[in-house]
Amino acid sequence: MDSNLYDPAFWSRLQFAFTIIYHYLFPQLTMGLAGFLVYWKWRALRTGDEKYNRAVRFWAKIFGLNFAVGVVTGIPMEFQFGTNWSEFSKYAGGVIGQTLAMEGMFAFFLESAFIGALIWGEKRLGPRYHLLAAIGVALGSWLSAFLILVTNGFMQHPVGYQIEANGTLGIASLSAYLLNPWALIQFAHNQMAALVTGAFVVTAVGAFYALRGIHSTQAGLYLRTGTFVGLVASLLVAFPTGDQQAKMVGRHQPVTLAAMEGKFTGGPMAGVAVIGQPNIGARRLENPIEVPGALSFLAYGTFQSYVRGLDEFPEDQWPDNIELLYYSFHLMITLGTLFIMLMMVANFQRWRGRLQSSTWLLWVLMLAFPFPYIANTLGWMTAELGRQPWLIYGLFHTRDGFSKVVSNGDTIFTLIGFTGLYFVLGLLFLYLTGREIAHGPDGEVVPGAGEEVIA
Amino acid sequence: MMIATWYAIVSFMLITYIALDGRNFGAGMLHWFVAKTPEERRQVIAAIGPLWSWHEVWLVAFGGTLLAIFPRLLASAFAGYYLALFLILWCFILRGISIEVGGHINDRLWQGFWDFVFVVSNFLLAILFGAAAGNVARGVPLDAQGNFSMAFFTDFKTCGYVGLLDWYTVSIAIFAMVILAAHGATYLTLKTDGAVNYRSSRLAKYLWMAVVPLFLLISIETFVVRPDLPGHAVYNPFWYLGLLLVAASIVTLISGLSTGRERRAFVGSKLMLVGLLVTGAAAIFPVMLYSTLAPENSLTAYNVAAGVNSFLFACIWWPLGFALTTLYFVFISRRYAGKVSVSRDSQGTY
Ligand code: HDD
Ligand code: HEM
Ligand code: HEM
Repeated sequence: MDSNLYDPAFWSRLQFAFTIIYHYLFPQLTMGLAGFLVYWKWRALRTGDEKYNRAVRFWAKIFGLNFAVGVVTGIPMEFQFGTNWSEFSKYAGGVIGQTLAMEGMFAFFLESAFIGALIWGEKRLGPRYHLLAAIGVALGSWLSAFLILVTNGFMQHPVGYQIEANGTLGIASLSAYLLNPWALIQFAHNQMAALVTGAFVVTAVGAFYALRGIHSTQAGLYLRTGTFVGLVASLLVAFPTGDQQAKMVGRHQPVTLAAMEGKFTGGPMAGVAVIGQPNIGARRLENPIEVPGALSFLAYGTFQSYVRGLDEFPEDQWPDNIELLYYSFHLMITLGTLFIMLMMVANFQRWRGRLQSSTWLLWVLMLAFPFPYIANTLGWMTAELGRQPWLIYGLFHTRDGFSKVVSNGDTIFTLIGFTGLYFVLGLLFLYLTGREIAHGPDGEVVPGAGEEVIA
Repeated sequence: MMIATWYAIVSFMLITYIALDGRNFGAGMLHWFVAKTPEERRQVIAAIGPLWSWHEVWLVAFGGTLLAIFPRLLASAFAGYYLALFLILWCFILRGISIEVGGHINDRLWQGFWDFVFVVSNFLLAILFGAAAGNVARGVPLDAQGNFSMAFFTDFKTCGYVGLLDWYTVSIAIFAMVILAAHGATYLTLKTDGAVNYRSSRLAKYLWMAVVPLFLLISIETFVVRPDLPGHAVYNPFWYLGLLLVAASIVTLISGLSTGRERRAFVGSKLMLVGLLVTGAAAIFPVMLYSTLAPENSLTAYNVAAGVNSFLFACIWWPLGFALTTLYFVFISRRYAGKVSVSRDSQGTY
């Protein structure tokens, strides 16, 4: 383990993991909230009810803050492909560069052109164009995610490429690359997960106001929309999208599936461990409690299917951190199940008209909002750890991908820099968002008065 | 042909970025000097306002396109400029945040602090971009594999194992700082009124006057450092286009500044930046990164290019993306045209 500390790949990996996990905390809310903003704006236009406009105005402010942090933390991600993963960029730039460039040209331009109009343009644009701005921003952020996931999907399951004369990768078919089945499923799963985050945050703010007995119309609206979207999205995250993801992994990365499940030996009727700790040294799962046959069924559709174990693969193909992979995957699933249960209870209470009066449930809903963030992060850790030791599955090893000319000292220095900067950024974000929430939707000044500033 | 076209497209994206964001660097640097009261300071920020991320996206899109089309160049340059790039990144983060949060709280200390961050990060960005441009012109110590890694400074000479900073790149950095400040002042003249407008228009004149001797100086320096450049340039039609733009911009700028026609002055100032950059990009082509160790190690557009198919596919989506971007550009220029003004009672974030 300690030899890791002298391994330049280790530091570049740590820095990439830290910065991407941090970055992704913001886009998931952006993408989730964008859906809510479009929906409320549309309702406002349809019903003429002012409460929807008020909700849009309030959430647009939080959206703006979140968006800004997402933008500034996203740019380092793009840079790191060149700075820390230059061998990887040389090898695969002709392929992955296509989607990263398209993301800029199609998604980010769209998003950033309309974001100002969404946040400050209500009065000048009028309701129709304001809705259009909301749609533009939402479309841009989802398109951005799609293109990023095509990039990541290629790394998980390379398709549509060819090897060029100089040994690097080039595109063979743009459509095969863009319509990578892995990326499509990943996109569906990931976007539903982003909606879960959005729904939990909206619900939590609603619960906060309801518990304090303030802004009751708005609180009711957030709780209603939030719990409804929360239920639908939580269900969709698990089924069919999460289920399809697992099948995809089983089909294309069987060794990853074995590691995710802590399956050291293969066999039919493979179970899903509900509890158990992998012990790599002893090659077994300790004190497991399993649902027999469940894994066979999930991965291949019948209880009898044979699931291969880690012992059937050479050890140099095993993911290099099986413990973390195993826990990431299992905790994600546990949280996903809990989200479904919580949202079912909340929707049941809503149906009985008791949502705003059941204090215990409001407390739970208010305190639950960090967990979708955790689940999203764990999901990404599952995906990314499971792909190891490959950077591009089956084609290119992670240890070949980092920049040879960058010294360990430089990477450690920049990692420390990011840690400090992101810590301050996090405090700032929490403080300002907290202020907006404390300020509340009702206490605001006339809509669109900010117009003069940028007129 | 294909490769030359894509070289032009990639240069176009970078030049567009600098022409758009350069005015923000400039305005940011002058923030303290042209705006004295809190209200005036908000006015400067509002002039940069909701569009900074739109401008930065040009850099992001440039980076992505460079990766798709010239992967080896991006890989080699980014890894080689490692620390300098991270400094640029951190300045971007600080600048973006200072714009966004500065106006959130109406408090002297809070705004004073973020104004400080805003000014310093813009100064650093202008200097770092200038030094980077100087490095591209001078060359970097590329080895036979086309890799390099570079210290901040070595012996301050311009050949052999050079550092990021030497007498040449420092003077380019200073030039970049002054010309971007001049550009920013011209922009602020256009976008503001009252005291800020008055101070900016005066500063713009002085700064543009300072640009002239500095420009002569760096031209001579470039000739000394890279005597081979003019030889390439005279065969490149784009070089003449660049010169033409510069000539046109001088006329426009002088007539704009002297008659107080703010829009004309700004157009001239923008043309000037674009013209100089076009001249530079044309002069170095086809070498994208010159080696100070041995000229045959240099990375040219031809030896860093991706496979033919990558070019072909990019030819499909790039024009589409560009058409859309042009549409947004029209939308944005209409929407944010005219002067900004700040009324204290407003709830605007900026
Ligand atoms: C476009 C591509 C892409 C995308 C969308 C993501 N990643 Fe990733 N990730 C990489 C591309 C990548 C990479 C460049 O390929 C890394 C660097 C080292 C490596 O092995 O893969 C990586 C490594 C990496 C690691 C370190 C794994 C290891 O090397 O042991 C973690 C924990 C994550 N990522 C986590 C995430 C999270 C939380 C993401 C959610 C946003 C995410 N990744 C999205
Ligand atoms: C699942 C992974 C990712 C998703 C879904 C995602 C999504 C997004 C979204 C929606 C935005 C818009 C701004 C915001 O955050 O609110 C954004 C910003 C950004 N992201 Fe990511 N991102 C992901 C990972 C990455 C990675 C790996 C990179 C590096 C290539 C990256 C680069 C960027 C950049 C450069 C921006 C700023 C663009 C701008 O100025 O608008 N992102 N991302
Ligand atoms: C309970 C059912 C769930 C199942 C069966 C499931 C399944 C999976 C699987 C198999 C992967 C790994 C794919 C890979 O290796 O690339 C994955 C990744 C991921 N999961 Fe889930 N998941 C579930 C719940 C959740 C929840 C609740 C969230 C968050 C709200 C979430 C967010 C993610 C994310 C962000 C990823 C990474 C992106 C990706 O590769 O798709 N998942 N999920």
